[in-house]
Amino acid sequence: MPSRTPAAAPDPIELAIFKNAFHAIAEEMGATLRRSAYSPNIKERRDYSSALFDGSGQVIAMGDDMPVHLGSMPMSVQAALKALPLEPGDIAILNDPYDGGTHLPDITLVVPVFPGKQSGQPAFYVANRAHHADVGGTFPGSMGLCREIYQEGIRIPPLKIVRRGEMDRALLALILNNVRTPREREGDLTAQIGACRIGAQRLREMVAKYGQPRVERNMQAMLDHSERLMRAELRQMPAGAFAAEDFLDDDGLAETPVKLRVEIRLDPKRARAVVDFTGSDPQVIGSINAVFAITYSATFYVFRCLLPEEAAPTAGLMRPVSMIIPPGTVVNASAPAAVAGGNVECSQRIVDVLLRAFAQALPDRIPAASSGTMNNLTIGGLDPRSGLPYAYYETCGGGMGAIAGAHGLSGVHTHMSNTLNTPVEALEYAYPFRVRRYAYRRGSGGAGQFRGGDGLIREIELLAPSQVTVLSERRRFAPYGLAGGENGARGRTLLRQTTSQGESERELPGKCNLFVDAGAVLRLESPGGGGWGAAGNGSSS
Amino acid sequence: MDTGGTFTDCVWIENGEPRVLKVLSTPHDAGSAIRAALEEIGPAGGAEIRHGTTVGTNALLERTGARVAYVTTAGFEDTIAIGRQARPHLYRWRNTPAPPLAPPALRFGIDERTLPDASILRPVTAASLAALFQAVRAQNPEAVAVSLLFSFANPRNERAVVRALEELGVPVSASHQILPEFREYERGATVLINAYLAPKMGSYLNRLQNTLTQRYPGARLHVMQSSGGIVSAPQAAREPVRTILSGPAGGVVGAFRVAALAGFDRILSFDMGGTSTDVALVANDPGGASGLRTTNESQVMGLPVGVPMLDIHTVGAGGGSLASFDRGGALRVGPASAGADPGPACYGRGELPTVTDANLVLGRLDPAGFLGGGLRLDVERARRALAAGKGKLKSVELFADGIVRLAEATMEKALRMISVERGFDPREFTLVSFGGAGPLHACALAQGLEIPRVLVPRLPGALSALGILMSDIVKDYSRTVMLRLDPGTPRQIATQFRALAAPFAALETRGRQEMKAEGLRPLAQRSLDLRYAGQGFELNLEWNGGADILERFHRLHRQRYGYADPSRALEIVNARVRMLAPSEPLQFNRERLGRGSGAQALERRRPVIFDGRARPTPFYRRERLRAGDRFAGPAIVTEYSATTVVPPGWHARLDAGLNLILERR
Repeated sequence: MPSRTPAAAPDPIELAIFKNAFHAIAEEMGATLRRSAYSPNIKERRDYSSALFDGSGQVIAMGDDMPVHLGSMPMSVQAALKALPLEPGDIAILNDPYDGGTHLPDITLVVPVFPGKQSGQPAFYVANRAHHADVGGTFPGSMGLCREIYQEGIRIPPLKIVRRGEMDRALLALILNNVRTPREREGDLTAQIGACRIGAQRLREMVAKYGQPRVERNMQAMLDHSERLMRAELRQMPAGAFAAEDFLDDDGLAETPVKLRVEIRLDPKRARAVVDFTGSDPQVIGSINAVFAITYSATFYVFRCLLPEEAAPTAGLMRPVSMIIPPGTVVNASAPAAVAGGNVECSQRIVDVLLRAFAQALPDRIPAASSGTMNNLTIGGLDPRSGLPYAYYETCGGGMGAIAGAHGLSGVHTHMSNTLNTPVEALEYAYPFRVRRYAYRRGSGGAGQFRGGDGLIREIELLAPSQVTVLSERRRFAPYGLAGGENGARGRTLLRQTTSQGESERELPGKCNLFVDAGAVLRLESPGGGGWGAAGNGSSS
Repeated sequence: MDTGGTFTDCVWIENGEPRVLKVLSTPHDAGSAIRAALEEIGPAGGAEIRHGTTVGTNALLERTGARVAYVTTAGFEDTIAIGRQARPHLYRWRNTPAPPLAPPALRFGIDERTLPDASILRPVTAASLAALFQAVRAQNPEAVAVSLLFSFANPRNERAVVRALEELGVPVSASHQILPEFREYERGATVLINAYLAPKMGSYLNRLQNTLTQRYPGARLHVMQSSGGIVSAPQAAREPVRTILSGPAGGVVGAFRVAALAGFDRILSFDMGGTSTDVALVANDPGGASGLRTTNESQVMGLPVGVPMLDIHTVGAGGGSLASFDRGGALRVGPASAGADPGPACYGRGELPTVTDANLVLGRLDPAGFLGGGLRLDVERARRALAAGKGKLKSVELFADGIVRLAEATMEKALRMISVERGFDPREFTLVSFGGAGPLHACALAQGLEIPRVLVPRLPGALSALGILMSDIVKDYSRTVMLRLDPGTPRQIATQFRALAAPFAALETRGRQEMKAEGLRPLAQRSLDLRYAGQGFELNLEWNGGADILERFHRLHRQRYGYADPSRALEIVNARVRMLAPSEPLQFNRERLGRGSGAQALERRRPVIFDGRARPTPFYRRERLRAGDRFAGPAIVTEYSATTVVPPGWHARLDAGLNLILERR
């Protein structure tokens, strides 16, 4: 992004009023989707995001949703803009990670908003993205250990799912024919469309009330305001280059650790920063590669966290930040690399490596590593109660890293994820499972002057023969402590089965696919967060 | 009797006239203010006293409730603490969580299991009950909450646990009684809050009832619930989780009933106080009992409360909200507040500018007439605070105008959320404004949302107490049934509905028994929580046994979420029964409408700033206005505890009930 000086704030009062109003629209879109969606992953866990964009596709407002979606949604809008002439009443759909998406389960809808006469260029866009529990491919849940993207599910380039207000039934049929749970997908897509329409409607109402020039002016004012906040922050940082490395355990196919490297160069005088991922490993065969949008999102998130609570996460935040991400690496993969885990696993490690670098510059403001994995568990098969296929997808929180002045939280999603759990009672209504245990994993947080948060234990008995995919991290390299704090405990997944030979229990690899019989019990233990400061240094319990 | 932070408001009816007495609250023992007020009012024996209480709210706010043991299915003891695994702030790395209501040492598991289909996989055994009893007793709890997995589907195991733990001699709250609905965390938290409040609420209400009975033989005590219905004191003591929003619920009922008497039955209530603003929507639509809309998804202090509460939305903007600029130069108003101490700058102690200071600088408050002259407002001090905080803005007036506009934008957002976002058109509503600061901003909000009319009731400072007096006696019962409802002919639908007969009969039998014990003959209102099979959230619809509910569901779903699909199967999630014993309707005297101009109430003219321009503006005294008086804005109407702004372009009139009605012409 070119550096430029933002114009002086036009009207601080209007700015605040519009900021609230834009944010409310994004939040309302999310609430609408949640309340009318079908799959537990969306309705109970809120694995979705909503955002508003100006006419050039820059993000203006985002709901308080999933950080991993937030920085990357603008690229969906850009891709739709580039590929399609969007007309009034149209809605674009896409999920191709190499054309505006991040990984195939995340399906994004983009809606052009024409406030006045129904022609010409769209004045604004709204978009939402939701993680669908299955988009086809080799493995139920579409999060398995694939070697190329063709195995990961149906790949949708930017296309019009709704034309001039009419659903494209042929395209919908094509999509539904390629997924395991078509009725649920159709319901979730319909809910996404409903939510987008509400967002577009609210923007049109705003224009009716304030006039288009005033709405546009305040969108630009918000971008400039974010930029000012970020520059004010950068001016207070120490000058210098701060480099760090961290590792992904492996890609699930080979045993080789995968290195991520970053150097953050801070220039407080010019209020600029450069984030350079040169030195990160080349992309790998297994599906933990991140596309550019993911790495951008993770960087966006880290910089956003350095600002005060109420700062709006608009595109303006990143104007003073330039990024160097060599193509063909694990942090900027090229087609046809498999990428299902880039979104959920590599994204967390990108945050970890950024924080490790920042910790050298801002030791008192940066937390130790959090659990560093979303512990993805995907299970599919036939539900004996209905005879129909089902696809279950859920991630599991862990320990948050400690920071100077505060212990880490236990049993929460951290950094790039913000999903809720599925209530046990909802889970057992929806799937042939029996949950045996859901608890904190005591003692898993790293010791220190401030303790890392504890991970979670979730134990599920499968009541039908099932295909299971585990996609998890921090099984080999533990979440790091900082300033003398100890590492958090590594995660693990256990499988207990009863056969004619008796009961057996074994630890599963961090990333695996397997078939199990009815009666098998999966026990997931998620990692704890790293501690901060040497224990005994005024350590409190 | 509505207990508030500063005053306890007492409203009673004497010769058809509502009368008000405000006495200072007594926070250490809320009952002593009530006793003092009764001495002054001097009711006859046998009086019925209705009470809005903050005992529960405060215990939750200040975390001064009981030491509670939480009992659940073994393996799930932490569920109550894990909650929904959400972190409190999306972009914050430093967090200090509130201590849990039940710390680990007070969380207990028992080996048992009930399944979603209501069958029992593992019954509780005498040995496990005995062991549980010993373990719980060793921790000396003051109350116990029990919530086992799937106990709503079959409460047999839970009942056994409750029976065993009742031997402890402390209050036991059971999930199959308080909230027999699915989602273990939300249900468990509601039951835990109930147990947490039970000892305190029980002893408070007992003491109050006893002193009342001694002084006024035959006096009966009732308590306002968050649902907008009244319940007897013993019921409230058993289920205190239902009283957390006792006072605010009174305000909504008061707003609705007063507006209905004035001829308006679709209202948005707007109650603005010092630190926060409560808004709610009430519409006499088919669907909810007497038009009051309840929700089962409230959050209080970050904890879910699953029992029905009026759908009141609260935002952190009030008269005391502080204004400042962030580092990027954008203005902020609230949620930080000057509170009662130091209070707004113009009260004489605060240094920082607040919404009240901004109103004063704009000329909208009468410095000498605040609280009947009891508090003189310091205009110069307010100006100094604004001048110090105005940043790059050119003038103090511009800053004041900005503060007011931004506060109003926050409140407008709250009103939008409960109206537009739920598919209601504000243009069909009346904004009923009360609380000390509400009427200052009501017309500006109405203008922004195109609400055609504002009603400022008589006694806007005591509307909660009046509402409590006008509420019906209500008890809510529910049960998760989780039945699939396939589309079909009316006959096929009716067949599927048959499965509902038994759960409804059980709920109603329990309700009638409980109400009968209090000498009441209630009406039963049935409703169903419906969703498309597979969804996660339900819509509540009144149900009289007919298949028309399906069509109403599709219509409501389209209104709310933008689509409907009649070919999809539905799920009946919860059966609900509301037992309702209507209160005797209050009759107020109505004045004869005159044709006055309000001249007799005109006190003075002073400049007030509207849209950046000072205009000479008449100040009227509310108490001296008469029915039928009409006058045009700009005007200010002052009264003991509130000030109403009538902006240019608006007209004011007094109706036969002496409500102040403001309309845009």
